[in-house]
Amino acid sequence: MTQTLAIFYDAYRSLNAKKMFWIVLAISGLVVAGFALVGINEKGLKVLVWQLDTEPFTTELVSAAFFYKWAFLTFGIGIWLGWIATILALVSTAGVFPDLVTSGSIDLLVSKPIGRLRLFLTHYLAGLLFVTLQIAIFCVASFLVIGLRGGVWEPGLFMAVPLIVCFFSYLFCVCVLLGLVTRSAMAALLLTLLFWFGVYGIGAAENALLMFKLAAEQRQTAAVQIEKQPSPRQKPLPPADAPDRGAEAEPAEPKVERPPAEARQTRGPDGESRSLATAHKILYRIKTVLPKTTETVGLLERTLIDLAELPDGAFGQPNRDSAQGKAARQVAETLRERSVAWVVGTSLGFEVLVLALAAFLFCRRDF
Amino acid sequence: MVHASDGPAIDLRYVAKTYRRRVHALRGIEMRVEPGEVFGLLGPNGAGKSTLVKILMTVIRPTRATGTLLGRPIGHKPTLARVGYLPENHRFPPYLTGRQVLEFYAAMACVDRRTRRRRAGELLESVRMGKWANVRVGTYSKGMQQRIGLAQALCHDPRLVLLDEPTDGLDPVGRRETRELLLQLRDQGKTVFLNSHLLGEVERVCDRVAILVQGKVVRQGTIDDLTAHGRRYEIELSGDPAGGLRAAIRAALPCTVEPPAAPPPVAAGGGGAARAPAEKGVLHSGTPVELDGSVVRIGTDDAAEVQPVIDALRSRNLVIRAVRPIRQSLEDFFIEAVSDVSNGHSSGPSRREGGLS
Repeated sequence: MTQTLAIFYDAYRSLNAKKMFWIVLAISGLVVAGFALVGINEKGLKVLVWQLDTEPFTTELVSAAFFYKWAFLTFGIGIWLGWIATILALVSTAGVFPDLVTSGSIDLLVSKPIGRLRLFLTHYLAGLLFVTLQIAIFCVASFLVIGLRGGVWEPGLFMAVPLIVCFFSYLFCVCVLLGLVTRSAMAALLLTLLFWFGVYGIGAAENALLMFKLAAEQRQTAAVQIEKQPSPRQKPLPPADAPDRGAEAEPAEPKVERPPAEARQTRGPDGESRSLATAHKILYRIKTVLPKTTETVGLLERTLIDLAELPDGAFGQPNRDSAQGKAARQVAETLRERSVAWVVGTSLGFEVLVLALAAFLFCRRDF
Repeated sequence: MVHASDGPAIDLRYVAKTYRRRVHALRGIEMRVEPGEVFGLLGPNGAGKSTLVKILMTVIRPTRATGTLLGRPIGHKPTLARVGYLPENHRFPPYLTGRQVLEFYAAMACVDRRTRRRRAGELLESVRMGKWANVRVGTYSKGMQQRIGLAQALCHDPRLVLLDEPTDGLDPVGRRETRELLLQLRDQGKTVFLNSHLLGEVERVCDRVAILVQGKVVRQGTIDDLTAHGRRYEIELSGDPAGGLRAAIRAALPCTVEPPAAPPPVAAGGGGAARAPAEKGVLHSGTPVELDGSVVRIGTDDAAEVQPVIDALRSRNLVIRAVRPIRQSLEDFFIEAVSDVSNGHSSGPSRREGGLS
């Protein structure tokens, strides 16, 4: 325990010396202060004393509590912690392992009565300490702001701590492996960012393919329904003994709704739908073995807010009745249906594999 | 600290390290370091000294290692709590102060908080770094870092201390203080394993040494034993060897001196007279003797055997300028040992100069 505490304390001193810990914390403070400065009333948003006309974002449509939670998720988590603070955290921690394995430094630690695996894992956890502390402080501050300004004390906000730490750990394990292989903090950082953007790209592509696939399926369903409707020309002839009512008695030909042009185009070629499904399946399988960064952060949204509460068309939300809105909602529902075990479990599986490889390298290497 | 029942501090039966199945860094090291002694490991660059020390400290994994460290198999981690280590070119976290460095590494060696604080204070004073205790290591000079490194190796009060080039970067005063510290450690009963290029330093503090060449121990023993074969006395006489002194000495010596071998041919156009070759003989006691210009060399380290020669020279009224006991330096011995292995024959300085044994 003495050794573990010593490594944690040393990690804190290291981060403290780099100043980055305090810089990130200060920016977090500014972000939370930003929440506190923005209010919402029946006219719209109010920043300090300035009233903004932000209809439909008014208290008539959304509650103050919902607004603050939405702002916390969108800006606090989605933009600040999910992107900017993560990059800053990677910058701060990318050097942990390259510095550790530097000749002359590692000798002093490996020669102590501590196993290499324990040394590796303790340093790994010490790296995560940075993010944990940052997120915990941010969440406490946000909890207070949402409570005081929005009037709702939402303990669900603290789910952000494990989820964002989890999300960061997917990237940090890659950074650790690359740091051990390249022994360069800069190379590890750049390659990790590249990996992250790659994973993000695959995720985005999978979502896009999912949307295209669902849209194609919708079109195909519509086309099939039209096919099943009897054509007026194929209408069966009346029986011969039927009384001839004459042309006047002939009821008006029922008005057949013509399929839209886009549906007509997909009539028959369900190959398009199949190829989209195949492409999506491939991408989905690739995504399954990779860490799901966006989805992991998105789990917080499931806990905190219901998207249906969002005012229609507000802040870029597609109109629910439009075709785009329907498809987007269907995609969102499909994504929300994906289990936590799939999102976090498979990502943690990836992390365990990468960490195992990194630990193997660390434990077997001659320094 | 040292008990009669204690086994050897380091007992290596066979240690080998091969990189990528091709490069043989260590080829079966066999070595024994007794508790309470200062042991020096010498060798040219690339001999495998640091590799051996790193294997003992589990920094490098051996290809094969049979032996013990403080009675436990090599690689036994808990044993390292009783071993201090100063690596070559060590690098401390630059954001820590000298005191924090000592406390951190003491904590890593499982020393409790109170003890490590007390030890850190004591050690900082003993390496004369008390004034700089609360200054960041990143601002230290090389010598100051070396002093902190030495203190770090001792911060958990180890029984065995392995030091890889401990005087590297130190000024003469620092070197002297380090030597004194090593001797203090020996007096405290600790075992010191010293890996150094500085043969003079090793010669002054080490009880025993081993010479490592091309991954093998080629010589091992006390410095006295290892340098014994080159010991002799030299008697320097006053006079001109070319002016009859040589003949007078030859006549005075109580032995038969063999005529010199044919002088080497003088290079055409070469200036200056050729130096006469040394004449060799054997005293009645069987001790070899050599006449080289105005110097008589007697191949013994026993002063009693020299007295008849002095008497004989004085009886002929020859003027003795100096009588010197000559001992082969560790450096001479080292170079000879290294040359033997590298060239497969001796080209050591003592032999080139016509050594007596």
